[in-house]
Amino acid sequence: MPTLPINIGSYLVNLCSALLLLTCFAIVAQRRLMACVDLFALQSVFLAVTATLVAYLTGIHHIYLAAVLTIAIKAIILPRILKKIVRQLNVQREVSMYVNIPTGLLTCGGLVILAFFITQPIVHLGFLLTQDSLAIALAIVLIGFFIMVSRLKAVTQVIGFLVIENGLFLAATAAAYGMPLIVELGIFFDVLVAGLIVGIYTHQIQEAFGSVDTSRMKALKE
Amino acid sequence: MPDQNHVSLMILAAPVVAATLSLFIKNIRMLHGLNVMTMVILVVADLVLWATVVREESFTALGNVVFIDSLSIFILSIVVGLGFSCSVYLWSYFDDEAIQQLVQPRRLWTFFPLYHIFLFAMIVATLANSLGVQWVAVEATTLATVFLITFFKSRESLEAGWKYLILCSVGIALALFGTVLTYYSSIRVLGEENAALNLTSLLPVAAQMDGHVLKLAFIFILVGYGTKIGLVPMHTWLPEAYSEAPAPVTAMLAGVLETVAVYAVLRSKSIVDQAVFPGFTGNLLICIGLISFGTATLFILLQRDYKRLFAYSSIEHMGLAMLGFGIGGPLGTFGGLWHLLNHALAKSLGFFAVGNIFRRYRTRQIHEVQGMVKVQPITAIAFLVGGLALVGMPPFSLFNSELLMITSLAQMTFQFDSFHLGRFLTITVSHEIRSLGIIMVIVLLSVALFGGFIYRLTGMLWGTPPAGIRQGESWHIGQLSLALSVFALVWMGFYLPTQVEILLQRATDVVIGR
Repeated sequence: MPTLPINIGSYLVNLCSALLLLTCFAIVAQRRLMACVDLFALQSVFLAVTATLVAYLTGIHHIYLAAVLTIAIKAIILPRILKKIVRQLNVQREVSMYVNIPTGLLTCGGLVILAFFITQPIVHLGFLLTQDSLAIALAIVLIGFFIMVSRLKAVTQVIGFLVIENGLFLAATAAAYGMPLIVELGIFFDVLVAGLIVGIYTHQIQEAFGSVDTSRMKALKE
Repeated sequence: MPDQNHVSLMILAAPVVAATLSLFIKNIRMLHGLNVMTMVILVVADLVLWATVVREESFTALGNVVFIDSLSIFILSIVVGLGFSCSVYLWSYFDDEAIQQLVQPRRLWTFFPLYHIFLFAMIVATLANSLGVQWVAVEATTLATVFLITFFKSRESLEAGWKYLILCSVGIALALFGTVLTYYSSIRVLGEENAALNLTSLLPVAAQMDGHVLKLAFIFILVGYGTKIGLVPMHTWLPEAYSEAPAPVTAMLAGVLETVAVYAVLRSKSIVDQAVFPGFTGNLLICIGLISFGTATLFILLQRDYKRLFAYSSIEHMGLAMLGFGIGGPLGTFGGLWHLLNHALAKSLGFFAVGNIFRRYRTRQIHEVQGMVKVQPITAIAFLVGGLALVGMPPFSLFNSELLMITSLAQMTFQFDSFHLGRFLTITVSHEIRSLGIIMVIVLLSVALFGGFIYRLTGMLWGTPPAGIRQGESWHIGQLSLALSVFALVWMGFYLPTQVEILLQRATDVVIGR
């Protein structure tokens, strides 16, 4: 049973959620692909820590399982796959982007404000422990979107997608102390398979196009 | 009488077993045989479940994991019915491709397991009691179909597949956020338990759930599953994926997968409608439906590629169906549901025919295909029927369902009837003018669509065939699928079978929550 007072627990959960958000900004500001993957792994570790904290403070055991799976899949397996892809494809830096870094960071700041604004009418329904995390989770989801649309390389687009997944997982943990176990397992399975498929797929793209720059895929325009 | 648990287990297990077996069978004939046999089993199981639903309204099976009522059995029947017809078509499709040496027979070993997993995921999405499991299954359909779309491994298909994977995964992620929000508001009422996402627990208490959260949840769910349905503006992956995928896969994507995604939206609509005023979901659906319908019509007029032509027609029809559900009420919902069935039949027929045309002409350009009536008489008839049905001509059943929806639109009453333009100008519009105005827009667009579609079709059907093309068409088993679809479309245009009507009626009641 929890030995920490609830308000200190709440501070800790908020701190971890904030760290998650911070790694998002770091990914937006990072050009080197390897570092982006590392930052994603770090974010997943923070996510697992948040989940463990929530599990410890509430005494709900199946969140521990989710935390372990987060570490295994999102902090170890998927980063390995992504790094392997980066190494194979020999693309280290993202030279061109649709949006430059300072503008990107400013946009993300705007997205965070938007997320807090959208969730304002519904946060009071939440548990005391994780009240602010829902807004942060939505902010992470939105920033994940931004990463996907502002970057050109297939690998960074995938990182954007995984950041969205992390945001969703935080939302589920924060808003409802985790989804039902079967759903959570299903989601992890889907994410893992998606990662594997992307691994195979980028390889095929590389073979066919000679690059993983998705802006070269322009044959199918209206 | 067979036990519901056993039948449900069978319908879930059959595709999994088939997928596993397909990994080990190296004989092409046997692969096809296994595929068709699995589909027969599924159809029979579906009919048994249908009979049970007619008797008992709704039931859960396998310890609350499976929940079946009239709506889910209606969608399931579309899934397995079209799955069957598609499997039969697949047989002749791949035989033909193998004869022309465009597909190495051994590549089929990767095709069939994925195809069965795709089917399995759709069946799970239809039968799942938990909204979370439903989400997992819909995401699984995306993952299973990526390599089906890129089956021919051309650069274009890789591009289309990448777009599909990224856009649909992201879209679906939004739907997950919507599902999380639904759960967020449901545990307020139900307390923290694993069943709090189950339809059986949600539906009775939906009225007590928090409206704000559910509104937000529905927006996310509509955008998320709307991406899978291909509603504008989340549709950009659709024309590409549909035109690059092998024709039978496209038929499944267009006919069945879209229907399953609509089903997911309808389930969440029936919950949200109880907690907030029904106009909320209705207005959203009407807006997005009209936008999809209008945009798709304009793009259809511009198409020079016949596969893309049919792809845009999918967006258009899904827009119409959304309009029907948005108008709601018994008439609109009935029309929308029936439209789903009709569209599934007509669109799969269209894509079967398109597959036949492409295999003969080896071009997707409309102006390069001429004289189909001489080159492929049977396919030409199917193509004409599919095309005419899709533009809403009688005597095909799409005419009836579209008419139902337009009638329901005419009967609709709007809640707000004045617009404020600036501070001094207020325009008041009567109900009649509002609904007639929308109807007028829809009918005008339909006429434009009719013209554009028929113009393209006639160009392909008549004229002199290009030199050096093989003429005449022999009977093969794949044409059975074409014949079945044509038959169903005409039959339902004149007479809706009583059993189907009862099922539709009850499914309508489920959607509008009576």
